[in-house]
Amino acid sequence: MQAEQHQEEEEEEEGEGGGGGGGSEPEGTFRKSPFQLTVEDVYDMSYVLGRELHKIGSEPRAEVPARVAQVQFKVVSVLEMLEALVNDSSLTVEALRMERDSLKREVEELREQGSRGTAEQVSLGPNKMVVDLTDANRPRFTLQELREVLQERNQLKAQLMVAQEELQCYKSGYMSQKQDPVELIRKEPTVGSASGSGSEEKTIIKRLFGFKRPR
Amino acid sequence: MAKKTYDLLFKLLLIGDSGVGKTCVLFRFSDDAFNTTFISTIGIDFKIKTVELQGKKIKLQIWDTAGQERFHTITTSYYRGAMGIMLVYDITNAKSFENISKWLRNIDEHANEDVERMLLGNKCDMEDKRVVPKAKGEQISREHGIRFFETSAKANINIEKAFLTLAEDILRKTPVKEPNSENVDISSGGGVTGWKSKCC
Repeated sequence: MQAEQHQEEEEEEEGEGGGGGGGSEPEGTFRKSPFQLTVEDVYDMSYVLGRELHKIGSEPRAEVPARVAQVQFKVVSVLEMLEALVNDSSLTVEALRMERDSLKREVEELREQGSRGTAEQVSLGPNKMVVDLTDANRPRFTLQELREVLQERNQLKAQLMVAQEELQCYKSGYMSQKQDPVELIRKEPTVGSASGSGSEEKTIIKRLFGFKRPR
Repeated sequence: MAKKTYDLLFKLLLIGDSGVGKTCVLFRFSDDAFNTTFISTIGIDFKIKTVELQGKKIKLQIWDTAGQERFHTITTSYYRGAMGIMLVYDITNAKSFENISKWLRNIDEHANEDVERMLLGNKCDMEDKRVVPKAKGEQISREHGIRFFETSAKANINIEKAFLTLAEDILRKTPVKEPNSENVDISSGGGVTGWKSKCC
């Protein structure tokens, strides 16, 4: 009679709990794979265990051992689920920790590259160089411009030498008659190193004036 | 224009690595002076010196090139007009000697075929810092059939001798005004006779 009543209660509550537990009876949650458990299932299990413990207290003594065995079985299965879940979660934690470490390393590497970033990116090519636009001595003229300036410089230099030479010719002729103390040309580009009649004459005159040149 | 103050104009060129002393060699020859401060030549410069050889006044226009790589496109365009080229290395700098073969190739690429070449091992006053034995310079010059001097712009060793020898070598193969069948042949580029067969 009592047992029947309990049976009815169970079925009644099964209907209520079943709605939240995904359509299965609360007892069924003990047979579920621990990896498919939801929080609702845990509530169901807790409900079932609580109910059974309650029954132990209110039932006749003779039935207690059988009830305890039943509850024990359920507790063991819950503990097994817990064991499986803890094992699995510790594996998951380890895997996540490794993944986190490798990601950390990757981030550090990327950050390091980033700090070298700007310089490295420009000098990536083997024939590139970085120019500091605020540097007053930065290269800023083209080779063609330099070539033209040098050509003009050398042309003017050559012309100056011709002019100096002519002036020297004129002066040496002029000065041999009337000594002019003013010496305009300091360097004589045509003085020969080898002894020759012409250059010898010139160098002697040059030397004479060289002594008189005020320093 | 005033009368010409010379009979012949020879264009010479100095090449070699940066810092071997090309400018100092030239400065010693043209101004008989030496300066220890190193100022890198910018692109190309020149000096003029008139010498007298075999009764002829010869104006030497000597082009001094920058040894630095970055000026090469400028300097190589001056090879073409040169009648004589001095290749200079530094006896205290092994790399400058190794690069002589590179400079020789540059001559082959950019200079006239009949250009007179000469090898100079400069800074020979620094015997204690020498790393290129004289024999090595002699060997490479022999291999290429060119003259070789060890020089010192600082101590004035062999500088004038080198320039005058190069000028003489050019003068020797310069066609003279008087009719001379052998020389006329050479100037027209016919090529196998005369000095060419003698010197090469």
